[in-house]
Amino acid sequence: MRRDVYVAVSFLLAFLVISYAITVKDVLGIAQNPLRTLGEFYLSHAFAHEGLTSHSPEVVTAIVWNYRGFDTLFETFVFFLAIMGALSVLRLTKEQEKSVRDLEAREPHRQMDLIVRATVKLVVIMIVSISASIALHGHLTPGGGFQGGSAMAVAALLLFAAFSKFTLERKGLTLRHTVSAYALGLALILTTVLVPVFLYGGKILQINLLPGETGLFNLDVGEYTAVTFGFLTVFLVLGISEWIFKSVLRREVR
Amino acid sequence: MIASFLIFYITITLFAMTFLGIYGVATRSNLIKKIIMLNVMGDAINMLFVLVGYRLVYPVFPPIYEKHLTVEEFLGRAVDPVPQALVLTAVVIGMAMNILLTTYAIQFYRLHGTVDARDMAEIMRGERE
Repeated sequence: MRRDVYVAVSFLLAFLVISYAITVKDVLGIAQNPLRTLGEFYLSHAFAHEGLTSHSPEVVTAIVWNYRGFDTLFETFVFFLAIMGALSVLRLTKEQEKSVRDLEAREPHRQMDLIVRATVKLVVIMIVSISASIALHGHLTPGGGFQGGSAMAVAALLLFAAFSKFTLERKGLTLRHTVSAYALGLALILTTVLVPVFLYGGKILQINLLPGETGLFNLDVGEYTAVTFGFLTVFLVLGISEWIFKSVLRREVR
Repeated sequence: MIASFLIFYITITLFAMTFLGIYGVATRSNLIKKIIMLNVMGDAINMLFVLVGYRLVYPVFPPIYEKHLTVEEFLGRAVDPVPQALVLTAVVIGMAMNILLTTYAIQFYRLHGTVDARDMAEIMRGERE
């Protein structure tokens, strides 16, 4: 208990000192009127007519995919590693999967009320269209593949709550399909990144060699697919009922 | 005057949230509470970073170029895009971290029935089942 007090008091002191430095002395330069030099460079050089960039009038997207392209690419790989780490932690062997399927077949089929289901259907259609517009229009307006994919994952969670996981699996959304779609999205990103090297003789990630806005559009679509189905994969594995998972795993432990 | 006071207020609040998050991560022993406080801290820092790029000019534009603007007008009105691009990366990495941490916590709970950090340490040392 006394240790908590020490920690709280020292954090309070650090908070007071740093907030004094930031607000009164203005160390970070929060909300200044003149632009910083770096920001000015990006704002004035990110247009299509300079011939430098990826034909995007939205400066954030131009920075993310053109000036910091490798960073964004590796960020996709970090997301991939996180999904694969989660899957390998939650992985089941062949026999365990079989017993999970047997136990799930015995579980009573539950779903929510008719009103909830109808509302969820309407809302899911809206969420899907909004997420598609965020992702596919991402090189012209704020947004992009990752943001659209996250919105789409919310739609999937709503479906999981209102209908059960089994309804979705019966409609064809099995683990194999989601993993394949995830791989397809990653393959689209890799192809777009590698095409300038093999077709146009440029460097890797030089997507301004591609005609028009094709490069950015392809990258956004690939990221959208990858994020959506990456989340869906983890949700599908986590959607197995707790008691089934526990009984199967505990049997393995002992 | 009012705008600079508001920005002062928001900055102080975000810093308070950041330190609250660090306090929670340091002192709570429940793993789920630790993850929640880590998220509070990360979101506060991201918002602070976006605030760094804001400018105190009256009609302030998002960093999207429109055809009817000249470059000088655009440079005089648009916010700094660099912090936004950096935060975009940080958000994705935070999401990936969340997935991994929650998965580990859930799996540990399924195997051993606890998410308390002290109990987890005892189990890891083999002192109890």
